[in-house]
Amino acid sequence: MYRRQLFSIGAVAAVALLMGFLVAGQVKAQLLTPSNQVARYHALVRSVQDLEATNAESRRLIAALRSEIDALESDAAGRSAATQALQNQVADLRAHAGLTAMHGPGVAIDLANGVPGPDIGAQASYLVNFQDVQDIVNLLFAQGAEGVAVNGRRITPLTAYSGSAGEVVIDQGPPLSSPITVVAVGDRNRMVAALYDASALPDIRARQVQFQLRLTFVGSPDVALPAYDSSLQIPHLHAI
Amino acid sequence: MRFRPGPQRRSTGRAISVWVIALLVALVATVQIRSQAEVERSLVGIDTTSLAFLIDDLHRANDSLQAEAADLQARQATLRSGTSGAADQVLNDEANRLRAIEGLVPVHGPGVVIVIDATGLTALDLQDALNNLAAGGAEATSVNDHRVVTGVSIEQTTAGVVIDGSVVPPPWTITSIGDANRLAEVANLMTQALTADRRVREATYRTESDVVIRSVVSSRPFVYAVAS
Repeated sequence: MYRRQLFSIGAVAAVALLMGFLVAGQVKAQLLTPSNQVARYHALVRSVQDLEATNAESRRLIAALRSEIDALESDAAGRSAATQALQNQVADLRAHAGLTAMHGPGVAIDLANGVPGPDIGAQASYLVNFQDVQDIVNLLFAQGAEGVAVNGRRITPLTAYSGSAGEVVIDQGPPLSSPITVVAVGDRNRMVAALYDASALPDIRARQVQFQLRLTFVGSPDVALPAYDSSLQIPHLHAI
Repeated sequence: MRFRPGPQRRSTGRAISVWVIALLVALVATVQIRSQAEVERSLVGIDTTSLAFLIDDLHRANDSLQAEAADLQARQATLRSGTSGAADQVLNDEANRLRAIEGLVPVHGPGVVIVIDATGLTALDLQDALNNLAAGGAEATSVNDHRVVTGVSIEQTTAGVVIDGSVVPPPWTITSIGDANRLAEVANLMTQALTADRRVREATYRTESDVVIRSVVSSRPFVYAVAS
């Protein structure tokens, strides 16, 4: 009886000890230990995650403000023919700037990472990079695309692409990574024909062979593009 | 009379407490393993240097988003004031701003002028150069007096690089308006890289306090797209 009691106390103590270690491990993973490289790395990641959350919140605010402004402008346009004419002009300009959601015939292109090759010098070549996205978007515009979005981020006249291996940053959005979906509204037959052209997108085609980078596309009678939800500030630009 | 638990009740209580603790251990272990796996999954292939650059980019992006939000709030306040002509003023300002962004009107401002004299540079090289400037904050750009915005076609043909249907032979003079300091940094890196390229005879840049871009893009009505 005494031995059984001892055994059960020991079991409880062992379980409690194990739990203590696990709780300590969990707490340690959440806190920054300055001397610990891994912890510092995790702190950097948490900074990125916080900044991404702020970024998403700001973009939601911008979209909401644009929608409210649109409603206020419509109210004003209802009271004056001149304001109505102005609002129509602005609506057309906004549509061309990517500030309006649109739909129509088009194509959807999927681009995904391949598999790493043996060549150490070309370590990141199997990953989708921002130049790949830039090349696809430029090809679509050259074939008459009227609007393009990448993973739901609308392309505007001022769009810039950046990023490191495997990451694609478009304008002020958070980094995107594989798989990437590019959707374009326009003449879908022309765009699909251009995507089938073996001489187009030479870098992607070469990496399709070498690293099995995946590029697929399909024409559709109706695809939808969201409105741009970020900044279009031009503080240094003045019309003549 | 006080109730004293018998040996059977005591051992049942002990068994329950062991099971509760074991359950808690399993719960904490699951959370720990899942959070580790989550972190590892989200960070595959990202080194600390890339993370630092990402943080820098996100800070700049968030500043820009906040400036846009402040600008929109000011516009919203003007429209809400309901004063006579307030909506017309807001709409006029917005139309002028969008025309400048879309390249529909001549513009001026501080910026850089880059001259690249080369043989064999392709449309992809030019697109990369223009994207570098856009990422460096270019607000308007032209190449040999051809206005370029995203959406203007730049293609490689047997006759050379074609911008919006016109052949644009080198040397290329790329004019960009924006934050002159940031654009100068980009132009400096670009011309250094280009100078090392055997196809390039010369690549130079200069900053100017007031650059003028007179070329414009012609407006094209939508044929396929419908506003949602």
